[in-house]
Amino acid sequence: MGFWEPLFFWIFALGALISSCAVIVFRNTLYCALALIVDFFFFAGLYVLLSAHFLAVIQILVYAGAIMVVFLFIIMLLNLGDDDIGERKFSLHHVLAVLSAAAVFFAIGGALLMVVDKDAVKVGREQAAIEQQAQDNLEDGQQKTAVLLQTESRIPGLYADMNEAALESGYSAQLAAYERGTAKPSDGKYRPFDPSRPVVVPPSLRMPDLDKIGSIPGEEQGRYGATQSVSVLLVNRFVLPFELTAVLLLSAIVGAMIIAKRRVA
Amino acid sequence: MSWEPTLIHYLVLAAAIFCIGTVGILVRRNAIILFMSIELLLNSVNLTFIAFSKYRFDLDGHVFAFFVMAVAAAEAAVALAIVLHVFRHTRSLNVDEVQQLKY
Repeated sequence: MGFWEPLFFWIFALGALISSCAVIVFRNTLYCALALIVDFFFFAGLYVLLSAHFLAVIQILVYAGAIMVVFLFIIMLLNLGDDDIGERKFSLHHVLAVLSAAAVFFAIGGALLMVVDKDAVKVGREQAAIEQQAQDNLEDGQQKTAVLLQTESRIPGLYADMNEAALESGYSAQLAAYERGTAKPSDGKYRPFDPSRPVVVPPSLRMPDLDKIGSIPGEEQGRYGATQSVSVLLVNRFVLPFELTAVLLLSAIVGAMIIAKRRVA
Repeated sequence: MSWEPTLIHYLVLAAAIFCIGTVGILVRRNAIILFMSIELLLNSVNLTFIAFSKYRFDLDGHVFAFFVMAVAAAEAAVALAIVLHVFRHTRSLNVDEVQQLKY
């Protein structure tokens, strides 16, 4: 994974934590909004580390751009300075809030550490490899070992120890399956992890001219987390929620206008 | 826990930021800061979606995060309209003073 990626992860993680605390600690509402903008930029960095480049850009454009502009606009329109709401008073209520949130955090963290156990997953994957081997042996006629090995349980699904190289090879295997024609886009229901399941562009949506205008050959399928691969999912399997989002935004626009306008006598 | 980030690191980070947002909602009385805390909660959930999406090698989480962002944008618009309306009536942003459903 290299040296820089963990370093940037820790920078972004600490920055996100500190600026999140700043959002709820600052007295001045304007400072809170500015801290939230910084927070959104750290989140965008984390998304880039998670190979979600499209969402990182959307995060900056929509959150740090559009939403926070509306927040800052409202704050400045209402001319809010240091709030005199009476939060300066330290009370038992604050202590209880922090304690209960800490309890929730340790509950979630403990549950995560139990469920996403790297060793368990690693054992599960080795077990899967053994079962695969046993399946091969079964075809060779050695049924005894196969039955013996298949009784072991394993944890499917959570690939916590999967590294960058494995992700890349999995994705290229997916692309290769697509190129061979053994996999089709937008087929079927949810499955946990299936290398043959495509996240790439169907032929009808490919743009063959991309090669001619200087892009890298073979890149037209879209890479993991890039705009093309996400948007292909949006307009194929998730087309109904995507359209409903348009209706939601329209109703939000109408609702915001009706609520915020002054009542005409 | 190693130096290199894995799935569990991202999940614990998202849980921590979720809890920070929860503290903000429980402690602050300023309506705008309450909405900012809600944005923190939504962002931490987005981080969880995207982390799982990467480590399961699946793009569905990205689509979900996209929809969460769309809902957050709509929510922010309506919420700030409500804040504006409430401020005109009560001359304050203290949510404890908003006790009447009418007016």
